[in-house]
Amino acid sequence: MTPEPMPLSQVGRSIPRLEASAKVTGRAEYVHNLRLPGMLYGKIFRSIVPHGRITQVNVSAARAVEGVHRVVTIEDIRSIIPNPYFGPAFHDQPILADHKVRFAGEPVAVVLAENYRVAEQAAGLITAQYEELQAVDDEVEAVSASVFVHDELKPASTFADLQHLKGQRGTNVALDYRLRHGDAEAAFAAADQVFEHSFRTQPVMHTPLEPFVSVADAANGRLTIHTASQSPSFVRIEIARLLGWAENRVRVKTAHLGGGFGSKLYIKLEALVAALSLLTGRPVKISLTMEEQFFMVTRHACTLKIKSAVDKNGRITARQCKTWWNGGAYADIGPRVTQKAGFTAAGPYDIENVALDSYAVYTNRPPASALRGFGAPQTAWAYETHTDLIAEALNIDKLEFRRRNILRNGRPQATGTVVRDTGLEAILDRLAERLAWDQPFDRGSDKLRRGRGIAIGFKAIVAPTTSAAIVKINADGSCTLYCGTVDMGQGSDTCMTQIAAEVLNIEAESIQVIHPDTDVTPYDMGTLGSRSTFHMGNAVRLAAEDAKSKIAALMAELNLPPGSNVPLVELFRRKYGMQAGNIIGTGSFHPAYAKPDHQTGRSPQVTPFWGVGGTGAEVEVDTETGQFRVTTLVNVVDAGVPINPKLVQQQISGAAIMQFGFTVSENMVFHEGQLTNGSLADYKIPGLLDLPRNFINEWVEARQHDGPFGAKGVGESATIALSPAIGNAIADAVGVRLTELPLTAESVYRAMQAAKGKPLPEQ
Amino acid sequence: MTSFELVEPRSLEETFALLDRDDPAVRPIAGGTALMLMMKSGLFSPLRLISLRRVEPRLAGIAFADGSVRIGAMTTFAALEHSPEIRRHLPVVTRTMRTLANPRVRNVATVGGNLAHADTHLDLPLVWIALGAQAVVVSPRGERIVAVEDLYRGYYETVLHHDELIAALHVPLRPTWRSVYVKVTTRTAHDWPALGIAVSLARDGSIIRDARIAVGAATKKATRLIQAETVLRGAAIDAAAVDDALLARAGDAAIGEISIEADSRGSASYKQHLLRVYLGRAVRAAAAAEPGA
Amino acid sequence: MSNTRTIRFTLNGAPVKTDVEPHETLVDVLRQRFNIGGVRESCGQGLCGCCTAIVDGIAVSSCLFLAMFADGTAVDTIEHLGSSHRLDPIQEAFIEAGALQCGFCTPGFILMTKQLLDIHPVPSDDDIRHYLAGNLCRCSAYPEILAAVKLAARRRNSAAEPA
Repeated sequence: MTPEPMPLSQVGRSIPRLEASAKVTGRAEYVHNLRLPGMLYGKIFRSIVPHGRITQVNVSAARAVEGVHRVVTIEDIRSIIPNPYFGPAFHDQPILADHKVRFAGEPVAVVLAENYRVAEQAAGLITAQYEELQAVDDEVEAVSASVFVHDELKPASTFADLQHLKGQRGTNVALDYRLRHGDAEAAFAAADQVFEHSFRTQPVMHTPLEPFVSVADAANGRLTIHTASQSPSFVRIEIARLLGWAENRVRVKTAHLGGGFGSKLYIKLEALVAALSLLTGRPVKISLTMEEQFFMVTRHACTLKIKSAVDKNGRITARQCKTWWNGGAYADIGPRVTQKAGFTAAGPYDIENVALDSYAVYTNRPPASALRGFGAPQTAWAYETHTDLIAEALNIDKLEFRRRNILRNGRPQATGTVVRDTGLEAILDRLAERLAWDQPFDRGSDKLRRGRGIAIGFKAIVAPTTSAAIVKINADGSCTLYCGTVDMGQGSDTCMTQIAAEVLNIEAESIQVIHPDTDVTPYDMGTLGSRSTFHMGNAVRLAAEDAKSKIAALMAELNLPPGSNVPLVELFRRKYGMQAGNIIGTGSFHPAYAKPDHQTGRSPQVTPFWGVGGTGAEVEVDTETGQFRVTTLVNVVDAGVPINPKLVQQQISGAAIMQFGFTVSENMVFHEGQLTNGSLADYKIPGLLDLPRNFINEWVEARQHDGPFGAKGVGESATIALSPAIGNAIADAVGVRLTELPLTAESVYRAMQAAKGKPLPEQ
Repeated sequence: MTSFELVEPRSLEETFALLDRDDPAVRPIAGGTALMLMMKSGLFSPLRLISLRRVEPRLAGIAFADGSVRIGAMTTFAALEHSPEIRRHLPVVTRTMRTLANPRVRNVATVGGNLAHADTHLDLPLVWIALGAQAVVVSPRGERIVAVEDLYRGYYETVLHHDELIAALHVPLRPTWRSVYVKVTTRTAHDWPALGIAVSLARDGSIIRDARIAVGAATKKATRLIQAETVLRGAAIDAAAVDDALLARAGDAAIGEISIEADSRGSASYKQHLLRVYLGRAVRAAAAAEPGA
Repeated sequence: MSNTRTIRFTLNGAPVKTDVEPHETLVDVLRQRFNIGGVRESCGQGLCGCCTAIVDGIAVSSCLFLAMFADGTAVDTIEHLGSSHRLDPIQEAFIEAGALQCGFCTPGFILMTKQLLDIHPVPSDDDIRHYLAGNLCRCSAYPEILAAVKLAARRRNSAAEPA
């Protein structure tokens, strides 16, 4: 007798994405492609001044264009929504400019027409006059400026972690987060050596290839919003709040997203299309162009100051960090970025005395928000460049200096939360191995200098948040999964079916996933911050376990012995006398969390898990021009136990290439408050030719004890430490330190010339 | 984009009748890739576009005769790229194609449209200048020949009248010359150049008998570097390594004869430095290349 | 004065006609008039490849292509590759190599890969990188795209060999 083959484990399989076939045939659904009968198309008319009072908006020429249905300004919006301000942290953003504009590019009016090109042409005929106000641009200057972007700050109180935000006047600081661990002041006074450096990062943009798009359809006392959103549940809550409606009158649906990366979070175009559909009684669609995306949301530019005390054994004894986040004109989720990145701004090191201050600052720029890392890549740029500078000064090997100070599992991090289940040390070891760190290194020639660098970083995960899921067993035994996680390319549908399939002992591919639809799928806080695999993964696991126990109960009810092989369809038949009925399993997950103390910023449970990533880079620098090439790029993250190894690897390489763009080429350049390079011709994202020849992406397993089957999120981990690894490699090659991103050929050459005492003229 | 009239004449005579010497809003359109960008961004709003794609056959074809090649203005880049004769006689053109825009643009963009667009960031006009190419310009008044280096007046500005068309390009075949084009990018690999530089050299043993150099992207218009050429002309070189001092003098001459423009790809001072470095590299590469390269 | 004109072309194998204005782009006409969802406008500048369509056998950026120029041509989109029963070997290779994430750029990459393999049946790594440099994938599935193109090339070549 041959034994029955063991059922294949579903977790750990590298199955292709469930929707791969729909995507390669061009048939996958995107809101980009959605057209509803009678739909109007909206085109936004935008401000050209960064800060000013609107004195006049002339829409008559636009209104006269054949095919134009209506031109809408804030007065019209108010007839539907009396208080038309939205936002996840502050209710500071008007649906259309409300007598004032706060950044160049802000929506002022909308043309609605039967055809998109007609709307576009008509919007070009709108004119506006402004009484210009002085604008604030720099995040540090804005703190003490006498110009205020907002007269009054109105906290939203929507999220549990942002309940402490204050309503204030006369400030551009939306949130200041402080953390005090030990006694940094005393430690600095007693220090053997103190190092202090300043760093800056540039504003960059998510650049999803499916530009922002939302459709609203108001009918029969309800509102349906089809939107390329990463957080449909939040959209529903916020739209219901704006309208004063019950949540169940608002339905928010997503399709596949053509990329998100943190851009399509919270609420973006949804309030506008909702108001427009209610105003006109017709479905309304607004799709942005790539150029317009630059006015929607960005990643924060930052100024970071970091100071460390080091003892004679090369141990960091104290660290002080101050970070200013250039939040732009509307807070969006910037306050959370400021706080979450503040938790870990001292880096993944075991430091007894830490003082951190992190400021979310309003300026007259497009709003800034989360972008693949929630601020962690900015803070890591500072602390990991700083780490190398200290090691150099102490003449300690850079890997050894990191190992000496690394935060080990079981030790409290600066917030007081004890670190566990991280692969920090293992990642350092793996990087050293992949770069053959202990072997002699070819330093190239005078004309082509070679260097190498490493960096490591970590982040706290947004908390507290919750996810819920439903697993439905149909009467034929097939399974349907209702899950509010938005698959925007990361492969969450596939991963979630693998988790459910593992519990139910069925094939993952046989499960159908119902895409987010707030009428149907239960609440999920949002697809963001590497939280889905852990939070939704656990909710799905619980739902599947619930279904499984209900199946067991049914079997008991039918007097079948436990472990009986009677097929599910037969169970339903026996129970109902025909193929009928359902088993519904539900799961809801809400990890433990303790709110940080307001004075010390400390909490025993600040994050459900840690996101950890390290990068090693080898570069070749053309010493005559400063042009450089990353010849080897190694990214290693801590992935817990991967649910789908192939998908994990893609998250690592995708995140790394994205951050590579933010490191060497992407930069939103502003001149007097105006964006000067808002198109893909002038804002350069990486292409195939930029891919390093030797590109290694790996993970170390560090089982997350409370993750679904040991897994944790990995979407952002490879972004964290990449920039400093490349900066460190360039410094190793040519001996110059760049403190500001992006690292361009010109900036390298300028630094080399400055080091030689022959600076290149500015112009 | 706003509406306009699109006409597709079948002959040059018909085309001339549709052009308007005084109205810049009446323009010929060939492949249209560059013009479409200007129209979509609102930089150009035509009243009438005159498509040249049906004006056969005077604007089409690649023909070799009498030591030169005539390339019809409507020849697409893809046709050039895949022409075995072009590869044999003008290999620098074939090589340049690889990094020029992308295959979709090359499938549609034409030699004439590219020349007439007068964007300093375009690669191919620099190559044509270094090769000593001449544009055949036709109008109701007849035909005139304009050397490519004389075609440009300034930023997006040619010497052509609004009723003139580029019908073809004449490129002399010089089997003893060696040519190189260098596209210098400073951000992503696939970007508009921060500097474009084309060098063509004629070498008699260890003497540079003649040189033609063109620079773009860092200047307002595609520009021939006459002074730098003069420095090189007659200079003795070691085939293995061109003398640093000679290249430094050529670089000084180049810097002296043009005005360098800053853009998002580099400051003027940096681009000036890039010009010195890449002029040297391009001259060295050309000197070391096989004849006819 | 209306400049509208009727154009006729073959779309994915079927003859079609529609009225267009001169300033309409092919991407708009394909999407708005014919519900072609596999052709997408993203950068609007011919740089990303999302709007790739095949006109008379050659790939174009349909966002930079006037619809009137499609008059009398054969236009093919991703919808015409493979069949409802069987994927094209390139599509299969993209699935197997995992050469996609969000999928928005995928039709453009696949159509350009087909053109590449028609020209270079055995492309080198360098050939692939250069040929596909004009297609952007923001999810950066680039390593898998390289692998998929090579896999598709092997499949096509072995299928082309006589049995």
